[in-house]
Amino acid sequence: MDIFAIFVSAIFVNNIVLAQYLGNCPYLGCSKEKSVALGMGGAVIFVTLLATLFTWLMQKFVLDPYGLGYLQTIIFIVVIAALVQFVEMFLKKAVPPLYAALGIFLPLITTNCAVMGVAILVQREGYDLLEGLVWGLAYGLGFTLALLLMAGIRERLDTCRLPKVMAGTPIALIMAGLMSLAFMGFKGMG
Amino acid sequence: MVGMLRMVLVLSLLCALSGFVLSYLKIVTAPRIEEQVLTYVQGPALARVFTDTDNSLIADRRVFDLDGARVTVFPAFKDGSLLGVALEEKGKGYGGDMGVMVGFNMADDTVAAIGTTTLKETPGLGMRVAEADFTGQFSGLKAPAALSAQGGSIDAISGATISSVGVVEAVNKAAVLYARLKPEIVKAWSGEATSAVSGSPKHRQGE
Amino acid sequence: MSVMQDFTKGLWKELPPFRLLLGLCPTLAVTNSADNGLGMGMAVIFVLVLSNMIISMVRTIIPKKVRIACFIVIAASLVVAVELLMQAYAYPLYQQLGIFVPLIVVNCIILGRAEAFAAKNGIAASVADGLGMGLGFTLSLTFLGSIREILGNGTWFGKSVMWEGFEPLSIMVQAPGAFICLGLILAGMNMINIWQAQRTGHEPEALKQGCGSCQACASADTQCRQG
Repeated sequence: MDIFAIFVSAIFVNNIVLAQYLGNCPYLGCSKEKSVALGMGGAVIFVTLLATLFTWLMQKFVLDPYGLGYLQTIIFIVVIAALVQFVEMFLKKAVPPLYAALGIFLPLITTNCAVMGVAILVQREGYDLLEGLVWGLAYGLGFTLALLLMAGIRERLDTCRLPKVMAGTPIALIMAGLMSLAFMGFKGMG
Repeated sequence: MVGMLRMVLVLSLLCALSGFVLSYLKIVTAPRIEEQVLTYVQGPALARVFTDTDNSLIADRRVFDLDGARVTVFPAFKDGSLLGVALEEKGKGYGGDMGVMVGFNMADDTVAAIGTTTLKETPGLGMRVAEADFTGQFSGLKAPAALSAQGGSIDAISGATISSVGVVEAVNKAAVLYARLKPEIVKAWSGEATSAVSGSPKHRQGE
Repeated sequence: MSVMQDFTKGLWKELPPFRLLLGLCPTLAVTNSADNGLGMGMAVIFVLVLSNMIISMVRTIIPKKVRIACFIVIAASLVVAVELLMQAYAYPLYQQLGIFVPLIVVNCIILGRAEAFAAKNGIAASVADGLGMGLGFTLSLTFLGSIREILGNGTWFGKSVMWEGFEPLSIMVQAPGAFICLGLILAGMNMINIWQAQRTGHEPEALKQGCGSCQACASADTQCRQG
């Protein structure tokens, strides 16, 4: 499969939130404002890329050669948790502007299933490093896209009169459902 | 300093303990997992490849060494003689590797039937290579197979050429393996032609 | 609080996916049938009860600073154990649940309960809490899975339950159905809350809005940083 096809299909056809059910917590929690959505999206792209890189190397050079494939889950979560800590420390010292933009979102990411999910999926699909990285990037972009669209709708919803029982998360979920319905239209493109 | 030492100590102790417990669990469950994978991944495909046999193809499987690679071969017995063998090969599909189980008739080396094992193709398109309309075309064929576009006899699924090519590739790879392994296969099961009827013998694998 | 209360709070008052909005990803992803919902729930019960128990046992010897790291290692080890056991004894379920089995480790319920409860309470109470939360999670998933399977497939636990000639709404077992169903269930929870509030004359207790799980995880993380 060529790189471009991976890229497009990961953003639209297999959108991480709307088709793969990953990263729903930030999808619902951080989609109240567009600026927050962008920050979260950026942080997810950044960490996903790094996590894909490190977990891929880990799998290739530690887990596979020593037959430790069954420890994948434990190794990946530890790698991701450590990575997020280091990234945070590094950004704080070295790139303060980036830290200001992404910093508050970073701690949320350790337990974000999108990052861990992408790392595991790359292994299950058997991608090589380049494909895996492109794929991780595309998933991050797809996540940002879904988050931004949602934030756009929710900013408008604030000014609407909603039945009391639907306000907040219920209506957000129903809209996510409609959006996912729309994204299903891309399915035939494969 | 003491706090630091304690942190390191507790964490390493925890990791060591968890590693120990998990590796023990892994050893205990490994044979069962292998059995389960064979039953649920290869089993359905094997049932489609050889529909009428006297033995359990999975229980009688054997692993052959071929230039350092391990090839698992599933023998099918009928009325006391080795009817055919099945082996699995992979072909490159649209959504990654596709596993195809290919059965060969011992008598004339033709393909008995094929069945798919692991597919990650697009539903409604590439996934249709698993349907009998497509897989049926391979039955009775003598390898190498080729798509009709390349002058062969296999009609590709429209809109899913990559997946179709992948299956053909897997079948041809399996045919090569079969041709190379045939003498050993004949030798391995020649003395036990009747054992299948009187219950499956326990084979040790990986010899 | 008594052990009984620790157990029952997870069943209704703090029902994980529907009230606290914890663990939404598996809630949405694996509930395309009642079977899968139940299976996922059982796996979570196993991990949650044991992780609560172990963490409660070792809570006094774990240094504060590496608390979260220890929790993660314990939870991840249990998840690997579940993966192995599931492959050995329930392989079809393992295939169905796919990557959501390893992803139990990032399910906020596990770390959330470890931090909020097991690290502060005794063994019996922690086990009761884990059992209650896990059971609540399982029942919720089975409930959602049942609705989706019945409407989307006309079956319940694989058995046909709808009348002859019923046209399944196949969208219900796909992603959109998951979101819409969960949205409607949450709206229903809101309605019950408001109705209860009117009856007792209290202000309606708002559904934890936005991202309960994010907040739970975030507070766990920030505490880890400060601690």
